[in-house]
Amino acid sequence: MIQVKNLIKDFTLNKKQRKEMGDEFKNTKILRAVDDISFECKPGRIFGLLGPNGAGKTTTLRMIATMLKPTSGTISVSDFDTVKAGQQVRSEIGFMTGQTALYDRLTPTEMVKYIADLHGMDKTSFEQRKNHIFDVLDMHEFADRRIARLSTGMKQKTSIARTIIHDPQVMVFDEPTSGLDVMTSRAIVDLIRSCREEGKTVIFSTHRMGEVNQVCDDIGIIYKGKLYFNDTLDQFKNEMTQPTFEEEFIYRVGEA
Amino acid sequence: MRSLIIAKKEIIDITRDKRTLLMMVAIPLLMVPVLMGTMMKIVSSQAEKASERQLKMKFVGQEHAPELYQSFANMDKVIMLDQIPVDSIQNYIQEEYLDAAIVVQGDYQHKIDQNGQAGIQILFKGTDSFGTAKDRIRAVLKVSEDQIVNKRMDRLNLKPDVVTAFNVQYQDVASKQEKLGKLAGGWLPYIFIIFGFMGAMYPALDLGSGEKERGTLETILSSPASRLDIVIGKFLVIMSAAFLTAFLALGGLVIGIQQISEIPPQVLTVVNEMFTFKTIAMIMTLVLPVSAFFSAMLLGLSIYARSFKEAQSIVAPLNIAIIFPAVMGTLPGVELNTFTAMIPILNVSLASKDIIAGAMNPLYMAEVYISLFGFAALSIWWCVRAFNKESTIFRH
Repeated sequence: MIQVKNLIKDFTLNKKQRKEMGDEFKNTKILRAVDDISFECKPGRIFGLLGPNGAGKTTTLRMIATMLKPTSGTISVSDFDTVKAGQQVRSEIGFMTGQTALYDRLTPTEMVKYIADLHGMDKTSFEQRKNHIFDVLDMHEFADRRIARLSTGMKQKTSIARTIIHDPQVMVFDEPTSGLDVMTSRAIVDLIRSCREEGKTVIFSTHRMGEVNQVCDDIGIIYKGKLYFNDTLDQFKNEMTQPTFEEEFIYRVGEA
Repeated sequence: MRSLIIAKKEIIDITRDKRTLLMMVAIPLLMVPVLMGTMMKIVSSQAEKASERQLKMKFVGQEHAPELYQSFANMDKVIMLDQIPVDSIQNYIQEEYLDAAIVVQGDYQHKIDQNGQAGIQILFKGTDSFGTAKDRIRAVLKVSEDQIVNKRMDRLNLKPDVVTAFNVQYQDVASKQEKLGKLAGGWLPYIFIIFGFMGAMYPALDLGSGEKERGTLETILSSPASRLDIVIGKFLVIMSAAFLTAFLALGGLVIGIQQISEIPPQVLTVVNEMFTFKTIAMIMTLVLPVSAFFSAMLLGLSIYARSFKEAQSIVAPLNIAIIFPAVMGTLPGVELNTFTAMIPILNVSLASKDIIAGAMNPLYMAEVYISLFGFAALSIWWCVRAFNKESTIFRH
């Protein structure tokens, strides 16, 4: 379970950044990346955080994963506060982005073991869990090959394995399919679905409307740091006034 | 505990990187002795060549000083080029066709006979690196001068003591180790300081900005490891790399010295006496905090950079900041005192010089350790702060 309440995140801009961002930031040093948002992600459901680039999706997810501290507001993950109990929160989550985020000079087994060790897994549970994941993802053949020598698909599987090795109850996916081909994107989408089947809490950010339609149960539409919609996907569809998903999104954001 | 897990993984990671291994092991252990050996070989063969070379000389005023001319003509490996016109001598020397010219005046014999001073002008090119022409001419002149002086003494019925009022005996109380330590001791720390820095540089870039570039930073930041665990784990590995590289450079240096056949055996004995276990262990106690200082500083800068490339451009000017105090330590007259003992790197250089020479001042040494550990602690604190700063860690 993830509960986000009145979340705000401000960044202080330096002179160069203010100049780059134009007249809007002439008289202020503060960029409000996330502006008073609240939502809830429930176990066994997939929450899609939908918004264009720069909307505040990654900042929100990074705050959920304790990488960034909220300026105000609270986030609780499995009833642990992200600020007060950061370590417990991190033990609960699996974080995955579009980049494979792997160490080229390690093997998939070593990579997965590293993350398992950081999560304090004992040897027996690691071996069991690793074998199970490697069976499901068909990774045994390349398990001891250096990651640098693997194909993109193999790397993606390794990335999935390292994300779920500690059997996290909360999964955070930050644009996990961005830049991937259809086949590898499909593997990720399958992973997200399987997490739901296992009763995990899943939050998933994307700017691809099609993906939202494919996997999400609940959605939040974020634009310029504000949340413009926060309900079920079915409710969103019921409220649609435009013919397509994309057009409805543009319409809602435009109205905002 | 998690910092050790991170350190273990980083060790596996960097030891699989050929560039790091090359920088950390192969270069200090092989390159230092090879470079030293080659350098010494070139220098000694050049010096040998210079001393073996035939000197081309011109004597002006041969008719006024036939005996002196003969002394030069009788020299080993000399060709007297009598046909060179007097007004072209300077040009010939300038163009290195002629090595030197000896010019005596018309009143040479008269001055000698009258117990006076005969003027002799020696023209030579001072850029001759080994100064062989000048030295060889000086030796011939000394013999001739001594002969003339002795004749004069006999004639005047005087003892040689008349012209040498003092019988000076210089007695150097410094041990050979001390002298050699002060003379060459400065270069030793220079080598291991530079290598220590180089050894830390590549792993620091890889473990900081490399992590950002690969996108793996988020992976470890979202793991239960705290920022402190991450910094300590990485720092330990970088520091070990720096320490190991510096140690191997020192080892390479010791091996290199043994390979140089040109070093006289008595000097080699002193050198070997200098590199005792105690000396090396003491030097390494200086290398440890300085490695910590380098490592934390480099890791902090590396994590600030957006990419590996940017990190390289940030760190490159730092080389000069490291080399400058290290070179300062090699300069004569720069000694350890209450002020220099506080300056990091320079104090390592000067303290090592004293350790090698076996002449340590306990007060200054204590100051050096306080300064080094202080700076190391300060740089670690700064590095941890950089890792905790959102604007650094997620700088785009």
